[in-house]
Amino acid sequence: MATTKNAKATAKKVAAKKTTARKTPAGASGRRKMFVRMYDVGFGDAFLVRISRRNGELRILFDCGSIQASAAGGAMGNVVRKIIADVTDADGVARIDVIVATHRHKDHVSGFADDAWNAVEVKEVWMPWTEHPTDPQARRIRNLQSNLALALSAGLAAAPAAVDAAAQRAHSVAADLVANALMLSNDGAMKMLHSGFSGLPERRFLPSKADDGRALVTAALPGVRIHVLGPSRDPELIRDMDPPKGESFLRVRGAGLGGHGAAPAPFVPEFMLTQSVGAWTFSPDDQAAIEGAGGLSELAVAVALDKAVNGTSLMLILEVAGTLLLFPGDAQWGTWMAALEDPHWRELLQRVSFYKIGHHGSHNATPQTFVRDLLPRGCCAMASTLTRKIWPNIPRQELLTGLIAKAADVARSDQPSAATARAFKVAPGVIEATVLL
Amino acid sequence: MLRPPPSSDGIVQAARRPLKIFASDPLAGRTFGNRVRIDVVNEPLQEGPVGSRLEVIDYDGAQKCFYRPVNLDHPAVLLQGGLDPTEADPRFHQQMVYAVAMKTLENFDRALGRVIRLGSSSRRQSSAYPRLRLFPHAFYGANAFYQPALNAVLFGYFRADAADVGPNLPGQTVFTCLSHDVIAHEMTHAIVDRLRPMFLEPSNVDVLAFHEGFSDIVALFQHFSFQDILREQIQRTRLDIRSPTPLVQLARQFGYATGSGKALRSALDEPGTSLSDSTIEPHQRGSILVAAVFDGFFKTYQRRIADLVRIATGGTGTLPQGDLHPDLVNRIATEASRTAQRVLDMCIRAFDYLPPVDVTFGDFLRAMITADFELIPQDESDCRGAMIEAFRLRGIYPAGVGSLAEESLLWENVESRLPPLNSDATSLVGRAFIQAMHAFDATWQPATFEPDASPTEFQYAEAGEDYEVDVNRELAMELHAYAAANAQALGLSTKFKIQVRGFHPVFRVAPNGRLQIELVAQFAQIDRHRSALLGGIPFRGGCTLVASSNGRCRYLVSKPMLDASDPRHRSMAEARLARQEDYLQMCDLANAMTPYYTAADAELRMRELMNFANLHRG
Repeated sequence: MATTKNAKATAKKVAAKKTTARKTPAGASGRRKMFVRMYDVGFGDAFLVRISRRNGELRILFDCGSIQASAAGGAMGNVVRKIIADVTDADGVARIDVIVATHRHKDHVSGFADDAWNAVEVKEVWMPWTEHPTDPQARRIRNLQSNLALALSAGLAAAPAAVDAAAQRAHSVAADLVANALMLSNDGAMKMLHSGFSGLPERRFLPSKADDGRALVTAALPGVRIHVLGPSRDPELIRDMDPPKGESFLRVRGAGLGGHGAAPAPFVPEFMLTQSVGAWTFSPDDQAAIEGAGGLSELAVAVALDKAVNGTSLMLILEVAGTLLLFPGDAQWGTWMAALEDPHWRELLQRVSFYKIGHHGSHNATPQTFVRDLLPRGCCAMASTLTRKIWPNIPRQELLTGLIAKAADVARSDQPSAATARAFKVAPGVIEATVLL
Repeated sequence: MLRPPPSSDGIVQAARRPLKIFASDPLAGRTFGNRVRIDVVNEPLQEGPVGSRLEVIDYDGAQKCFYRPVNLDHPAVLLQGGLDPTEADPRFHQQMVYAVAMKTLENFDRALGRVIRLGSSSRRQSSAYPRLRLFPHAFYGANAFYQPALNAVLFGYFRADAADVGPNLPGQTVFTCLSHDVIAHEMTHAIVDRLRPMFLEPSNVDVLAFHEGFSDIVALFQHFSFQDILREQIQRTRLDIRSPTPLVQLARQFGYATGSGKALRSALDEPGTSLSDSTIEPHQRGSILVAAVFDGFFKTYQRRIADLVRIATGGTGTLPQGDLHPDLVNRIATEASRTAQRVLDMCIRAFDYLPPVDVTFGDFLRAMITADFELIPQDESDCRGAMIEAFRLRGIYPAGVGSLAEESLLWENVESRLPPLNSDATSLVGRAFIQAMHAFDATWQPATFEPDASPTEFQYAEAGEDYEVDVNRELAMELHAYAAANAQALGLSTKFKIQVRGFHPVFRVAPNGRLQIELVAQFAQIDRHRSALLGGIPFRGGCTLVASSNGRCRYLVSKPMLDASDPRHRSMAEARLARQEDYLQMCDLANAMTPYYTAADAELRMRELMNFANLHRG
């Protein structure tokens, strides 16, 4: 934006408006604007959406969490302080209209464990329906996922040191994934989300059964329609949220929670023999192969758990005066397919002006068909990500180039200097995108 | 097929051996009729039981012990017609696995008109195994799978989920080897792998789903051949066999015990489900194939019992209250089981008309129709018509056909476009017949249990190729010359080596008693240039050629290569490649492991799918 135009417009705006307690976005040029501020949390998500209004701004915080801090962004505590400072009004009170926690992975909610949040006035807290405290289906899924995370964590800790490089890598990837998923209901962050903050916020678990696919409107966000594309309540799609059951417990070195230790003997000892007696074609190699046959490797179970928790991601489209912003959380296959197949949602996806790149830019959280066929040209896309050594394929280069091929303005939190498009404003630890309404 | 040689005192041996099994999963039936006696082909058996093509090895990998093998030739066992069904004795489990596996094998032998070999010769990944091995209690887990590298089927056992148990007791031990459907399903995987080893490579979205769906079809329709059960069920459900009874729900116990609440793969749950592009999970997609075949069967069955219902109700169509007349039930049970056998045979016979690679559901429909048309040109109960209609309603459309009329669904007739199979046809055919005779005639078989005297006669592994071929080396050379000379018409490329994958004479008997003899040859080619781009799977092409007994080619089922000379073939090949790439993208999207692969892993990610153990994990 040209500074002269800025100054003139600001003067006009200031003269016309009466001052309020709330901070108003600077540089208004006649058109209403939305700002999406991406904080550099390293590998994680923290997005503050600010929608300018005549008498203040609406603030929505999407996630606040990280599993690996970046050098530029600093520790989580710093980021939390920054966010709270950014939402503090002139009267010294920090206010956020809606806090959205897309799913309970550490890299999305760990920041909420900070006590400073208790001073922030929040009107509403939105979580996926799987977080509902009393819904039996939600409880079942939560328990399954938590139990598996605990069992896996214990199993991995007890595992003997791996010998070859591939096994070591598998172990560390699995350990990493499980650590991310170890976000239990008694964790400080979850407690804050479910019962913390000041101002007695209303908790919503989306999509609620009553919504029935229509857009959500709430008094906390006047003028904003919210489309909830996921997670689905459809039993077919919910299967995605179920991690492998049964034998995965037992394979994890007998350290399961249910007390399932060694496999129980199926027959009485009279039938058991130590030596082979038949005319069988059975070599010691075969014996070893059979013994290794049952059960998944820890890595496969950890990945399945990761997928299951990602599957609970809240996928939202914010609609303000016809402009659409897409925040998919870490939604993967099931949720995306359902969204692409529904004609109404498909139509919305074709008009998106801002896209928060799902799952930190990984390959399977953004369908190619969406980028190639649906995303309009010239939109804005941001990825809060960090290339970690053990996950070389996140973020995926092909995805970023695909977006750029659609003339999108793309910004990565770990490469702020590359965010050169006019829509972006770069400051230390923050990249802010401006979306015109 | 024929009897074993007479015993030492000259007593003629029985042709069939009776064995008892659980007809449905043991939990479904304390009901009468769950224990059934089936007949399998009688062969000399050793302890285990170990036969000529199957071997049951009871090693438990979790307990690290063997279990006592059963001797099915023990007089006490023979007198009772097999051990009584029980969950507590592992010897009965061995008996049951052997019996159902033999039954499945027999269905294939009869429908295909040849004896299928289950041994494997030594290859890159595995050593030589003369027989298919079955491990009834291989591991602890809610799973059962066929392991190609071990040439074995592994069955797991597990404790029922305490929380969500269905009809099982909490904490009860559930054995997957006691489910007829699971055994038949896994045997079918093993047999299909013999017939078409390259159907394990997921080159399009239908391939793995076909493996799953076809195995479910065999399990389901084999179930219908048990007349005793059918009779009881028909009496209970009063003619509508579509009601969810244990007969129809596959492996119900399996599903309940793992806590998913219903049968793992139930063909008839959603009446309206049709094939959609976003259904890529092999079980879900395969279950639509099962549902289509079942719908076709049911329509034919209804047509066949229409006259019985008319007679029984005097034309009113409403059945009298209370129990049905036992004669009526018998007739209906016979009709149902005969229709089921017809559909099962039609499905299995289709195999000889399937391409060697890259199969789709549409190919399977065309193969079924062509195979059935060849055997039974005049179809009185219009079984084929019912099947076509059923597939249409489930959204399964073959590619490249003009219409869904029977004539346009037949494979392309190439009598005018290809020369006869071999100018020296008579000697080629003669040699093939002699080899087939060896397999059929019991007196040619050696008396001992040694594996086939010269396994390399029929199977050998080509250098650099992971899959065995099923053809005599001499014949292979002559067929290769034929294929090379006619590469253009066959849709093959001149750039790549042509591999002769199989050659069989096939003998079939039509219902009217007519003997049909055909020669089936398979050729395949492989283009490895794109393997890295396609996730570790090369682009394959090839064709199946069906000829009549005098060597004249009748049908060609072609999967052309990209540089075929005919432009029509070229565009088909390009469509195939596009489909393979699409499937790769869908898999990437659905695969949770995708973001965590290293570059080296990513190049082989499609090969990871070729693993039945993972495929079958709930």
